[in-house]
Amino acid sequence: MSAGMERRAVSRHLRLLGAQMRLSMLAALEYRVGFWTEGVVGLAWSLGGVVPLFVAFEHRSDVAGWGPWELVLLTGFFLIISGVYASAVQPAVSKSMTQIRTGTLDYVLLRPVDALASCLTAQFEPWSLLEALTGIGLVIVAAVELELSPSLGQLGALLVVLVSGLVSLVALGVLMLCASFRALELQNLTSLMETLLGFAHWPISVFRGPLKLVFTFVVPFAVMTSYPAQSLIGGLGWPELVGAVGTTLALAIGARVIWGRALRGYTSASS
Amino acid sequence: MADGPVISLERLDKSFRVSQREPGLWPAIRALFRREHVEVDAVRELSFEIQRGERVGFLGPNGAGKTTTLKLLAGLLYPSRGQARVLGFDPADRRPEFLRRIALVMGQKRQLSWDLPSLDTFELNRVVFDVPRELYERRLAEMTELLDLGAVVRKPVRTLSLGERMKCELVAALLHAPEVLFLDEPTIGMDVTMQLAIREFIREYHRRHGATLVLTSHYMEDVAALCERILVIDEGRLCFDGSIAELVRRIRPLRRVAVRVDARLDPGTESELEQLGQLALAGPPRLALDVAPQRVPAAVARLLALPGARDLEVHDAPLEEVMRELFARRVSVREAEGA
Repeated sequence: MSAGMERRAVSRHLRLLGAQMRLSMLAALEYRVGFWTEGVVGLAWSLGGVVPLFVAFEHRSDVAGWGPWELVLLTGFFLIISGVYASAVQPAVSKSMTQIRTGTLDYVLLRPVDALASCLTAQFEPWSLLEALTGIGLVIVAAVELELSPSLGQLGALLVVLVSGLVSLVALGVLMLCASFRALELQNLTSLMETLLGFAHWPISVFRGPLKLVFTFVVPFAVMTSYPAQSLIGGLGWPELVGAVGTTLALAIGARVIWGRALRGYTSASS
Repeated sequence: MADGPVISLERLDKSFRVSQREPGLWPAIRALFRREHVEVDAVRELSFEIQRGERVGFLGPNGAGKTTTLKLLAGLLYPSRGQARVLGFDPADRRPEFLRRIALVMGQKRQLSWDLPSLDTFELNRVVFDVPRELYERRLAEMTELLDLGAVVRKPVRTLSLGERMKCELVAALLHAPEVLFLDEPTIGMDVTMQLAIREFIREYHRRHGATLVLTSHYMEDVAALCERILVIDEGRLCFDGSIAELVRRIRPLRRVAVRVDARLDPGTESELEQLGQLALAGPPRLALDVAPQRVPAAVARLLALPGARDLEVHDAPLEEVMRELFARRVSVREAEGA
């Protein structure tokens, strides 16, 4: 593909993202009561994300070597990841799963754009972004309280692990979606993922043995929340950075390959 | 562009692996651990060609493989064996250049956003199919007028009637002016007026754009009105390819001569008429005689001579009857082969 064609393809997919988000916003605005209820729930959910911190510090002064403000920093990154999951990944995956079950994925596959991009932008829940915004607020407050003045290198590492964490999250969403091609009643998988995501609330050093391995390399919550916080505090080394990128690449490539195979097995529910 | 078939299939097969179990609780529990599967051949060694601008109807009983064939041609399903080409592309590759030139409309599936006005989905498709704004406005105005949609496109889809929704589905599918249009049961469940309106619109779209149409429908009127050529598919195999007239001549070579009458026939007249042909309807109110083409003049004369006979009609057997007879014949041949 020439550079010009690639640019046009990227621009078309960005416009697709914009158009799908617009459609989701319009759908959210269609029901007034539902819109405001979602808003209140979104606000309560983001505030609720901070509660475990208060509970923990009622009983002890640190958790696995992480002090109170360091944990606030980690919680900030957790809320960012959790907000992105609740606003973009979970709704899109759930909607696409329904489309696979009912056969309306046909129309998605008939679009002259990447089918995976279409699925991943199928639905968006704007209010859940409040959680991510609260997370950004917590990161800023914690950074001020900890008097952090990160170097350019640390900021670069933060960017790398944050992007890796988000890509891993999306890749896990894609794998869930692929599973639903084989077993059609797998809507619960997204709820399971939401529950599992609760583990990302705590630093990776809390976990031992197989759980630590799983949360670092298989469902890499470490990459999503602990590593970004560590990159600012100063505890992230090269091995973790390389491990994060490697794990993410493996997940992303694996998800793309499995998606391709899953599509080949699509049977398009009969009309 | 080089001349040649727009669509060509060569020994195309599609089979599905389907799980099966006996009914009841115990088989259901057993199936949790060990499930039996069977291979179901939905399409078998299908070969045909369709030229640019042709209007082709797929006919066949339920489960014959018509919709599967359409989905294979639109690139939604991967064939198990064989090859398909549409507009020079392998549909299974689903290349954007290919998808931009085709459309598939399914009467039983919806692409319009349920809670929003159709216009919002049209706008999404404008972006997805990269239709310039000016062209989009022009096509939208043209189709809205042809389909007499007016303010319907501004109402949430959930508030529309089935017919209105289908009209909007057609607009959504045609905004990018596809060269090949696949229609799967586009008038299903609609009243006669709406069926007519949709049929007229499809015919007009074909006339203006010279698009190639491939249609499946359970309503024979759809096929008879829209398609100059029909492909009959049964059990995944092609069993007829030609015009409706040819099919009718082959399956029911007799012509039907019918009149309206007020009284029952007396036995003498009935046996006299049966010497001319088969008495299909013995009225009142209709009396119909199926006769060989060379006997039509004699049958017309005899029927019109009956007391009170009026409203003469001479036509081929209705397509529904022809299809019923065709499939009944195939079932009995299969049963004979199995015996």
